[in-house]
Amino acid sequence: MKESIYTTVCPGCSIGCGLYIRESDKGAVSVDFLKSSPVNLGKLCRFGMRLPHYYSRLVSGKAEGQDCGTEDAVRAAASRLKGAGKIAMLSVGNTTCEEHIAFMKLAETLGTVVHTGIPVYAQLPPECHPHLEGMPFIDIENAEKIVLFIDPYVQYPLLVRRLLAAKRNGAYIISAGRTELHLAHENRKLSPEQCAELDLDSGSLIITDVHPHTDPCHIQQLLNIALDTGARLQVMKPFVNSEGADRLAKSRAGMMGISQIMSGIERGDIRTLVLLDSDPVELMPDTSRAVEVLKKLEDLIVISSRDSPVNAIADVVIATEPLYRKKGTFINAEGKLQENSGQGIDGIDAISMLSRELGADGFDHRQVHGYLHERMIETLASENRKPEYCRMECGTVPAQQNGACTLEYMYNPFMWFSQPDDNGFVLLDRGMVKSLRLKKGGTVRLDSEKGSMDMRYKVEKVPEGTILTGRKLPIATATVTKIKAEGC
Amino acid sequence: MVRVGDKLIGYATDPDVRSRGASGGLVTAVLAAALEKGLVEGVVVLKRIDEYEAIPVITDDVQEVLASGGSMHAVPVNLAKYAAGRKIAMPGKPCDVRGVIEQAKRNGVDLESTYIVGLNCGGTMHPVVTREMLVRMYETDPEDVAGEEIEKGKLIFRTKDGEEKAISIDELEDAGYGRRENCRYCTVKIPTSADLACGNWGVIGEVAGSATFCEVMNEKGKRLLDNAIDVGFVEVRPADGKAIAIREKVNSAMLKLGDEWKERVFTGIPDQERLTYYMEQFADCIHCGACKEVCPVCTCGEDSKCTMFHSLADNYRMSMYHMVRLLHLSDSCIGCGQCSDVCPVDIPVTSIFRRFADPAQKKRNYEPGMDLTRPPFLEVMLK
Ligand SMILES: Cc1cc2nc3c(=O)[nH]c(=O)nc-3n(C[C@H](O)[C@H](O)[C@H](O)COP(=O)(O)OP(=O)(O)OC[C@H]3O[C@@H](n4cnc5c(N)ncnc54)[C@H](O)[C@@H]3O)c2cc1C
Ligand code: SF4
Ligand code: SF4
Ligand code: SF4
Ligand code: SF4
Repeated sequence: MKESIYTTVCPGCSIGCGLYIRESDKGAVSVDFLKSSPVNLGKLCRFGMRLPHYYSRLVSGKAEGQDCGTEDAVRAAASRLKGAGKIAMLSVGNTTCEEHIAFMKLAETLGTVVHTGIPVYAQLPPECHPHLEGMPFIDIENAEKIVLFIDPYVQYPLLVRRLLAAKRNGAYIISAGRTELHLAHENRKLSPEQCAELDLDSGSLIITDVHPHTDPCHIQQLLNIALDTGARLQVMKPFVNSEGADRLAKSRAGMMGISQIMSGIERGDIRTLVLLDSDPVELMPDTSRAVEVLKKLEDLIVISSRDSPVNAIADVVIATEPLYRKKGTFINAEGKLQENSGQGIDGIDAISMLSRELGADGFDHRQVHGYLHERMIETLASENRKPEYCRMECGTVPAQQNGACTLEYMYNPFMWFSQPDDNGFVLLDRGMVKSLRLKKGGTVRLDSEKGSMDMRYKVEKVPEGTILTGRKLPIATATVTKIKAEGC
Repeated sequence: MVRVGDKLIGYATDPDVRSRGASGGLVTAVLAAALEKGLVEGVVVLKRIDEYEAIPVITDDVQEVLASGGSMHAVPVNLAKYAAGRKIAMPGKPCDVRGVIEQAKRNGVDLESTYIVGLNCGGTMHPVVTREMLVRMYETDPEDVAGEEIEKGKLIFRTKDGEEKAISIDELEDAGYGRRENCRYCTVKIPTSADLACGNWGVIGEVAGSATFCEVMNEKGKRLLDNAIDVGFVEVRPADGKAIAIREKVNSAMLKLGDEWKERVFTGIPDQERLTYYMEQFADCIHCGACKEVCPVCTCGEDSKCTMFHSLADNYRMSMYHMVRLLHLSDSCIGCGQCSDVCPVDIPVTSIFRRFADPAQKKRNYEPGMDLTRPPFLEVMLK
């Protein structure tokens, strides 16, 4: 009857909802509500409620096609890394700050940097980066006017209650995203540059996100609007510790977005890829294409706490404990430092062992945590004096061609983590239902250059010609895929 | 030997357990004795994390039970779900006890092997709201708090340096703090459907604060208490007339207050506005399913009508999930507040459900969770 109970955060997005994970002596995992968590008061979205699924597949170590323990996997990884050139390392923030720091130390040893996979950071001037850091969620509740470039219901659900609270406090809410939001006073299909029409001022707040497929242009334009109007930006991030991973980066010189990394592999500029709890197969819109590209690598080394699709094609998998058992901290999208109650240090030990195998010093949890402290103190000191940035010249976000039909991804935790959900349908507007003569309760046929499939559909007010999906579809080739739709 | 119906004043014999307990440690001692003597295989205890947080665990370790005393007013958990499928003893506020009884009616719990030591309950508060209340109303740092208690309608916080501050619960609630909304209109304050009903109402004189008023509700309660007395964990004596009268008086006053709140919240909805009302209330629902997961009277598990008839792809004007749940729980919702607590978009689910269920329950004079003799009325009607 012995149970272990861990205080932890949800890995689903950078809101960082607090929760308990209960683990029975037979290994069964269930979720319990941590009502005293100031971030979410114990409340969880669909993804958080399904964490037992997320944690159900345990990872096992392997090297060169054989199952093995950590030491053998580390040795195999080291022998591949010794003398390897053209190495890229990726950690999007699906792990603790401490493991991310350990990974950064390993990158130093290998003479490279850790990429966080978000292209915006690579392409915007460094003085802009601090302006993309999160602010306390309570500030959302106190804003006077809020412009949303995200769909909070689907992408960052625990923001909904903050927005509803803001509304009760008198805020005026405008949705500029792809879907019509019930909580918004006004739903307008706006591009970032059109925000100038909205009379924003210093009491206004723009909420958007940066993720591995965000167009840097979009963020550039919003930064310009913020500069012109005094409006603040709340930038959400997709993974539990993306905020931490980004704040920890000392310099972003040479950093790449995930698509750039994949192109680098295709071109042969990257021959070795080391991943820390980050799976390009899950992160890229076209799953089968991502697998093909990754197979071109000479060395694919994975350090991971869960069994995700990339493990199947990796040369080496170094298995660590599940996230909830790790000793360490996370920084959420409001800049709050949260701590796990778990005491697991498999991840740090494995990275340290790998570092020693490569001839550098090893390190322990205390040392990497010490580094985190130093960085936090530096960040806190710089918090009140964010550098100034200048207005940027930017291109325009490509407009949709008239009459074209596109399938668009609505990124959400289920998509990033290839988790099952009952969102097996697409969203399309009434006009399309009529023109395609779709039958109530029936399906719509979607054709792309990759093939054809039938999907259930739901009618929503989405832009004309746009079909939205909250699930990755095998016919997609990019985040926006040109398709043909037919009634069936 | 005690008898069913006895009203007693008692406490734990171990001075540590007695002083750590909320009022004499009798409940802790009774639970520990049940485990010690093999009456049960495990005990549900609240594992304290700090002043505002505790998590229910099931333990077979007597020492862990003995260390678990004290009432946590800022821990609005419901323990009923932890009872399912196990031979256990548990403490329980009226809503915990009622949850267990409703589960027993649906074969989710075997009451023969589940022992419940009931706790009177004036209400619980949300931990984050409590912290905010401490800062705003008590001008006290939540980290400085060393304990809290409710006395004579006032909520009293004691700081680590021994200072006490008291504010009336009415004043706190007028300012939007205090008890959760559902606790304000909760209709059961003494858990008469438990095996023992324990509380501090009626504990007066020199034992005030260090003993518990305990009513033996049934044979199982008698077994529990006799067992605890036999192993020397507990001492009891009969409560005198004055103690009994005071307990009754406070209970009546609390119930009256609850009825006043009910009238305020459960106003009728005109027929022609009903659909719009429910559509509007649930418009922001993200269908996380948390309200079903935590509901202590729901025993359906994965294969449930509300999820079976509902699909996210549906374009119904009102979610079938809620439509089915409203109907399905109309005979069993006990207003425990769990669903509102966990709703990620702050829908006042409990008030909506209780408001829906109230007229039907009232019409049939049916109070869910009070005894096993009356089956769920929807079941009877369908037969
Ligand atoms: C939230 C709450 C409100 C109460 N309000 C009243 C009241 O208005 N009038 C009255 O007469 N008595 C009330 N009581 C009961 C009273 O405070 C004592 O619990 C009771 O007198 C037994 O005292 P004890 O020393 O024997 O209990 P203890 O030996 O201290 O044992 C208390 C038991 O309660 C459990 N417990 C603690 N907090 C909770 C919780 N939040 N939910 C479920 N179980 C919990 C503990 O795990 C422990 O098993 C309340 C109790 C609680 C928990
Ligand atoms: S996915 Fe995000 S919003 Fe949902 S529970 Fe996890 S952290 Fe919270
Ligand atoms: S619902 Fe009733 S029994 Fe439950 S915590 Fe609130 S007042 Fe106590
Ligand atoms: S519906 Fe809500 S208030 Fe009613 S019993 Fe279930 S959880 Fe409690
Ligand atoms: S908890 Fe709230 S959001 Fe979740 S299903 Fe229930 S009402 Fe909807």
